[in-house]
Amino acid sequence: MSEPDDPRWLDDVAGELRREVPVRPAWRARLLDDVARAPRPSVRDIADDALGNEEPALDRARRRWSITVAPLTGLAAASLLVALGAGLMYVAMSSRAGAGASQRAAHAGPSTASPQLASRTPTVTDREVVRFELSAPRASRVALVGSFNEWNPVATPLSRDPASGKWVVSLRLPPGRHVYAFVVDGDVTADPSAPRAADDDFGSPNSVVLVSSPRT
Amino acid sequence: MGVTQPDVPGFNLATMTDAMLVRRVLDGDTAAFTTLVDRHAAACTRFATRMLGNREDAEDATQETFLRAYRSLARYEERQAFRTWLFQILINRCRTAAVRRQRRHRMFLVDDSAIAAASVRPAVDAGDLRAELKRAIDALDPDQREAFLLKHVEQLSYDEMAAATGIGVSALKMRVKRACDRMQWVLREGEASDVGT
Repeated sequence: MSEPDDPRWLDDVAGELRREVPVRPAWRARLLDDVARAPRPSVRDIADDALGNEEPALDRARRRWSITVAPLTGLAAASLLVALGAGLMYVAMSSRAGAGASQRAAHAGPSTASPQLASRTPTVTDREVVRFELSAPRASRVALVGSFNEWNPVATPLSRDPASGKWVVSLRLPPGRHVYAFVVDGDVTADPSAPRAADDDFGSPNSVVLVSSPRT
Repeated sequence: MGVTQPDVPGFNLATMTDAMLVRRVLDGDTAAFTTLVDRHAAACTRFATRMLGNREDAEDATQETFLRAYRSLARYEERQAFRTWLFQILINRCRTAAVRRQRRHRMFLVDDSAIAAASVRPAVDAGDLRAELKRAIDALDPDQREAFLLKHVEQLSYDEMAAATGIGVSALKMRVKRACDRMQWVLREGEASDVGT
C-alpha cells in the first residue's frame, strides 16, 4: 500500500475494502426459503408498519409531511361542512322561492370546480408523438420497455419498417423525462442512438428521452 | 418458488433491469426476486460486514433487509435506483444492529477497568494490510464509517447517499472528509509505531 501521505492511499484503501465478501450458499438458501414462506407482495396492500420503526428516512420524511398537512385536511373538512350547511340553508330558502331557483343552485358548484381540475390533469393533447427505432437486422422480436409502460416487455412491441429495415414504434408520451430500453429477443439493451440515463439501474443500462411541452 | 414468465417466452431475467424485476415480482413472479437477491446480496453483505465488523451480524442484517424489501416491494418507486432503496433499508438495519450490539456489550462487560486491562491491540504483522485497515475502519465513528463506506467502497453518489441515509449532502461530505483524515492519521500512527518497535 502507498504511504498515508501519498494521495493514492485512498485508492489503495478503498480497493482493499471493495474486496468481495462472498455470499454463503447456505445463507442464500435460507434467505430464499424465508422469502418463499413470506406473504407475496402485491401492489397496494402494504401495511404502514412494513418497515417497522427503522423504515427508510425518506418514508419518515413523507410521514412528517403527512402530519403537517393533516390540520389542513381538517380545515378543508370544516370548510366543506360549513359550505354544506350554507348550501342546505340556501336550498331551504330557495325552495320557498320556487323550484327553478333550487335547480340553479344545484348547478353552481360543478361549473366553477371543473376548470381547476382540468388544468392540473395532463390530457391526450399534452402528449407528443415520439418515434423509437432500432437497427437490429437479426432480431426476431423487439419490444420497448420504460417508465411509461411500467417496464412491461409485452406492452409495446416494435414492428419492422419494410422501407428501412429498422424496428420502429411511435408513442404519445407526456412531457418530461422518460427512461427506457429495448428488449431484443429477450435481452434488455440500451438505445445506441440515445443518451444513457445517469441513474442506470443494475443490469443493462437504460436510455433517456426528454419530451418537451407542446407549443401552444 | 415462483414461476418463470409464462407470458414472455424466452425472456432473459438476467438482463432485465431492477425496475422490471420488481414489476414482475409484484405481478406474481416471485422467481424474479431471486435475481434481485443475486445481484445485490454481495454488496449488501460487504457493506454490512465492513460496517458491523463481523460476518454473523452482517448476514443477519442483510437477511432482514431483503425480507423487509420483499414485503415492502410495492413501496419502491422506480424514479429511485433499486440499489439506493435497498441501501436505505440496509443502513437502518445496520444502525439497529449496532445499537443492539452495544446493549449486549453493556450487559456483559460492565467492569471498565477489567476491559481496559484486557484490551490488547491485536497482533499485527507489519505487512498485514487488512488488519491495519480494520483497525483504521474501527477507529471511525459509526456515522463517519457509514459515509466513508457508501462513498468510497459502494461508490454511491452524494445524492444517492443523501436519499439512502436521510442526511444532507453537505453533512455527508463533511463526514467523508473527517473519515479520510481520521483513517490517514490512524494508518500513519500504525506506521510510526511499527518503525518504533
